[in-house]
Amino acid sequence: MQTIGEIMTKELVTVKPEDSVARVAELMERTRIGGLPVVEGGRLVGIISSRDIRRCHPNRLIADAMTKEVVTVPPTCSLWEAKELLERHGIERLVVVDGDYPVGVVTKSLLYAELGKHIDALTGLQQAAFLQRKALELLQDGKEIAIIFLDLDDFGAVDKELGHVVGDEILCRVAKVLGGVMEEGFDYLFRYAGDEFAVVTVKPLEEARKLALRMVNAISEEEWPLGIKVAASAGVAGGRRASPREGDLEPYTVSDLINMASLASTRAKKERRQVVVAGEIELREANCIQQCPETV
Amino acid sequence: MSSKTRSLLGSEPLRKAEMTIRLSEFEIPPMQDALLVGKKAPIGPEAVRSMVDALSPEQYEIIRIEHQVFEAAVLKRSLLKLLPKDKLLPILLEECERVADEHAVVKAQVNIVIQVNRAVDL
Repeated sequence: MQTIGEIMTKELVTVKPEDSVARVAELMERTRIGGLPVVEGGRLVGIISSRDIRRCHPNRLIADAMTKEVVTVPPTCSLWEAKELLERHGIERLVVVDGDYPVGVVTKSLLYAELGKHIDALTGLQQAAFLQRKALELLQDGKEIAIIFLDLDDFGAVDKELGHVVGDEILCRVAKVLGGVMEEGFDYLFRYAGDEFAVVTVKPLEEARKLALRMVNAISEEEWPLGIKVAASAGVAGGRRASPREGDLEPYTVSDLINMASLASTRAKKERRQVVVAGEIELREANCIQQCPETV
Repeated sequence: MSSKTRSLLGSEPLRKAEMTIRLSEFEIPPMQDALLVGKKAPIGPEAVRSMVDALSPEQYEIIRIEHQVFEAAVLKRSLLKLLPKDKLLPILLEECERVADEHAVVKAQVNIVIQVNRAVDL
């Protein structure tokens, strides 16, 4: 999983608490940076933003203008954890620290641009990498999850016979149709790849099976352009977080869960069934995400 | 024609500098008993702290306050022996906010007279 350390700006421009507001305003103007870490003896002691600068007399010391409570992350923090922190605190940048020492900065625009690479441009859905992340996050919250893997039947034929433009139109509509079946706060829809979609839901396995059935039915009941018939098969697998046990050498991971759902959807296709439930597995705590430390 | 006469006729204007010097003692520290720092004043509490620490170490206490006009008060420790800060500060704030806004740093001289009447058994 991509971390903040991989995308952060490492060339830090910092200021000192005894600098004047006027000097820092000029520095911000020259470097076109809207927020600078305040460092004393190499340690992070605050952050000064252009907003702080505007509110203060230019004669003041940075120590009298800066924000002392800095929201920081370690370089190992994931992009999604960083995004959540930025949004929760309503701030524009995070200072990346190694202990008390600043090692980089990540701005909201840089982070969003990087996260945007995980959004599928065709359907607007998030991609597979985020599915993993969301599943882990829900598990860490102590929730049981189920993965639904949905594969369109013979979709390659649509691309071959009607062209990829029509194929893309259908994929967009499939995303909308499936989106209409999702329940906000319970079900999270992703485009996995090609004509494959996936859902992570916090519903119990039986409810997840019903949801998969609704998804498959919604697709087959939709009126598609040019009289095309679109159908899908789905596989479902459930997982819950289990504490690590000694001797349990081969723990299941979220990837295993996704794989189980994927294989179940293949089985459904072969057996000409709408939905196949693969079963439920326990996922080791060690495979859940590491909590991102936060200094506020 | 003398050179003075030529000058008066306007060919070369006369330039003079007048100098006034006022000498007075620089107060150390340049404050009296109390200082109230406005929220948008040219110096903030940390700058005041540096000044006080350098000029009169351990003689003043800096108190950060939640107030609509002022963000900090600097009080002479000897004053606080006469009157606790929870009694002194509200009075100072009330009086200073009448005459200052958040851009100001207000210097205050405070005289406290303690009156004691005691009786003893004869």
